Amino acid sequence: MMMTMEGVAVKLPSYSFPIIRSPARCVTRNFRPFSISASTLKEGHPAAPSAPPASLSLGHLTRPDFPILHQEVNGSRLVYLDNAATSQKPTAVIGALQNYYESYNSNVHRGIHYLSARATEEYELARKKVSNFINASDSREIVFTRNATEAINLVAYTWGLQNIKPDDEILLTVAEHHSAIVPWQLVAQKTGAVLKFVELNGDEIPDVDNLKDMLSRKTKLVVVHHVSNVLGSVLPIKDIVLCAHDVGAKVLVDACQSVPHMVVDVQNLNADFLVASSHKMCGPTGVGFLYGKSDLLSAMPPFLGGGEMISDVFLDHSTYAEPPSRFEAGTPAIGEAIGLGAAIDYLSGLGMQKIHDYEIFLAKYLYDSLSSVPNIHIYGPAPSNHVTRAALCSFNIDNIHPTDLATYLDQQHGVAIRSGHHCAQPLHRHLGVSASARASLHFYNTVEDIDDFIQALNDTVSFFNSFK
Amino acid sequence: MNSTTIPTTLLYFNPSPAASTESSSKRQAHNPRHVQLKLDKRQNGRNFLSKSIKCTQNRGIRNPTALASCLEATEAPPSKAAELVADKLKRLVLEFRSLAEPIDRVKRLLHYAARLPPYNESTRKPESRVPGCSTQVWVEAEMDELGRMRFRADSDSEISKGFCSCLIWMLDGAEAAEVLEVKTRDLEDVNVGVYGKVNSRVNTWHNVLLAMQRKTQALVVEREGKRPLEALPSLLASANEVSG
Repeated sequence: MMMTMEGVAVKLPSYSFPIIRSPARCVTRNFRPFSISASTLKEGHPAAPSAPPASLSLGHLTRPDFPILHQEVNGSRLVYLDNAATSQKPTAVIGALQNYYESYNSNVHRGIHYLSARATEEYELARKKVSNFINASDSREIVFTRNATEAINLVAYTWGLQNIKPDDEILLTVAEHHSAIVPWQLVAQKTGAVLKFVELNGDEIPDVDNLKDMLSRKTKLVVVHHVSNVLGSVLPIKDIVLCAHDVGAKVLVDACQSVPHMVVDVQNLNADFLVASSHKMCGPTGVGFLYGKSDLLSAMPPFLGGGEMISDVFLDHSTYAEPPSRFEAGTPAIGEAIGLGAAIDYLSGLGMQKIHDYEIFLAKYLYDSLSSVPNIHIYGPAPSNHVTRAALCSFNIDNIHPTDLATYLDQQHGVAIRSGHHCAQPLHRHLGVSASARASLHFYNTVEDIDDFIQALNDTVSFFNSFK
Repeated sequence: MNSTTIPTTLLYFNPSPAASTESSSKRQAHNPRHVQLKLDKRQNGRNFLSKSIKCTQNRGIRNPTALASCLEATEAPPSKAAELVADKLKRLVLEFRSLAEPIDRVKRLLHYAARLPPYNESTRKPESRVPGCSTQVWVEAEMDELGRMRFRADSDSEISKGFCSCLIWMLDGAEAAEVLEVKTRDLEDVNVGVYGKVNSRVNTWHNVLLAMQRKTQALVVEREGKRPLEALPSLLASANEVSG
C-alpha cells in the first residue's frame, strides 16, 4: 500500500516534454526534444524498453491500492482501459473523502467553529497541493471549478468576453476536445471574433509549423491540448507559448490528459491558463481546476455571482473578492477538493516522473501489440525515437463498428474500453471516420492487461467476422 | 467463456401468412424484407408507406380525398392496438430475459440486425440522426392515412441495428398513442451492453425509443393542425466565421 504524505508539498524536478519536434519558426530557447534515454528510464526500468520483471512493475505495485480493479465483470477479470475518460481512485483518496464526511464536514470560509475552521484549512491545503503539483508560483493562481470544462468556460466568459474583439482570432487545433471548442464558438458568436483551426500533418499530429504560420497580431488566444485524448500525441507547449507570446497572444492549455500522467510545470511551460480535472488524476469527480497567471486572474471579472465571490454586497452593487474566491461562487465541492489533494499526495508519493516513464513503456507495448491485429488502423503518430506517444490508442478495425467491439469486449471479456467520438467530432471528421475505439492506460495497468485486451480483441474480431 | 446455444427466437417468424401475402405490392417493392417483420393484421391490404402524413399538410387545400382518409384514420377505433404493443413488449422482454449469457443477447441482436431492411442511403439524413447514441442511428417516422406510425431505421453499428430492428418490430404500425405510451423503463430488462436502469447517452434502446416518440409527437401535433413547439435552434454555437 502506498502511503500518502499528508501536507507535504512534493516538489518535482522541472521537466519539459516537447515530444513533437518541428523546425521552430520563431526563436526558441532552452528547447530540446525529449527522447527516452537511459537516464530518464533508469529510475523505473533499468532494462527498458524491454518489459520490466512483472513483479516489479509500477502497475503491479500499485494495483493493490485500487480496490475497484479486483473484481470480475461478466465472468472475466476486469481489465479497465478507459482511463482517458476517468481514472480509478486509490484507497487513500476514498479514505480522505470518508474522513472528511465522518470527521469534519462543514462549510468553508464561513463559520468560526472548529469543524468549519478545519474544513477550510484542508480545502485551502488542497489548493496548495494543486499549486505545488503543477509548480504554480502562488496557490492563489489555482481556482477550483466543477471540472476542466467549467474552467475553460470560466476563462471564455470572463477573460474572453472582456478581451476578445471583432475580427480578433482564436487559434485552436482540429484535435481539441469539444469542451475546448464550444466555449470559444460562443465567444466568437458574441464578439465577432474568428476561430482558426490548425489541421493535422502527415503523421496525424496537429501541425505545429502550421500553427506558428497562422499566428499573427490578430491572434488573441491560442487554445491547445497538451496530450491528445484521441491521437496520443504530445504538443510542444513551451515552444507554442513562446511563439504565441511573440505576437501578443495568450495561451490556454487543456492539460486533462497530461497532468495525470507526467510532470507538468506551468512556470516552465509559461502557459497563461491551464486546466485539468480531478477525476482523471485519481481524484473524485465534481472538481477540477483552472490555473491562471496572477495578473490575468486579478483583471478578470467574475464568472458566476453568489456567495463567496464577493467582498461587500449592497442592494445596488457589490464589490468582488480577490482571486481565487472571485471565481468560486457558492459552496464549493469541499470534500472533493480535499480528495483531489489526497490524490496529488498519492501521485507525488509514487513520483510523476516514475509514472511517466512506466507509461511510456506501456504506450509502446500497447501500440506494438495493437499493430499486430489484422485490418487495424491506429490513429496518431507512430512511435519512434523522437516521437513518444501517451499511453492510449484510438483505433478502428475494418468493417466493425467500434461500439460493437466495445460492447463485445465488455460483455464477453470484461474489458472496458471507450467507443465513440471521444468528444472530438471535428477530429474524427478530419480522420474520415465517425467514431473510434480507444484503449487508454494509467500507471496501475500492466502488461498482462494489454495482453488480455489484445487476446480479447482478436476473439471479438473473429466473432463479428463470423457473422458476415 | 464459451458461447451457448441460442434459444429459439420469439420476435420473428411467427406464422402470420396474412402479413406476408396481403401487404401491398408497392410496399414490398420498396422494402421487400420488411414484410417479414410485420405480424400485425391491422395493416392488411393497406399501403402505409405510400401515403404519409403529407396528406394532412394538404388538408382542405388540394386533396379532399386525403382529408377524408386522414379523418377516417383519426376516428378509427383503436381496437386491440394497446394490447398488441403491450404484448409485443412482453415478448421482447421475455425473450431477452431468457438469455442469461451476455454473448447470447449480443448474438440475438445481431440476428435481428440482419433482418432490418437493407441499407438505404436516403435514410441517413442529418435530420434523421438520433442524438446521444455512441453509434450513428437514423430514424424516420411517418404517419399513415389511418393515423398509424411507420418507422424506418438504420445504423452503422450491427448491435444498434439489432435494437432498431426490435423497436420497429414492436412499434411499426402502432397507433401514435401506443407509441407514446411506451416507457423507457419498460425496456430496462432488455438492455444489452448497458446495465440496469440506465438512462444514458449510450443506451440505444432509450435513445431510439425517445427519438421515435419525439417524431411521433411532432406528427400528432402536425396532424392536429397545431403549430409545433418552438425548440431552441440546434445551431447554437456557430461562430460568425471559421477558417482553416
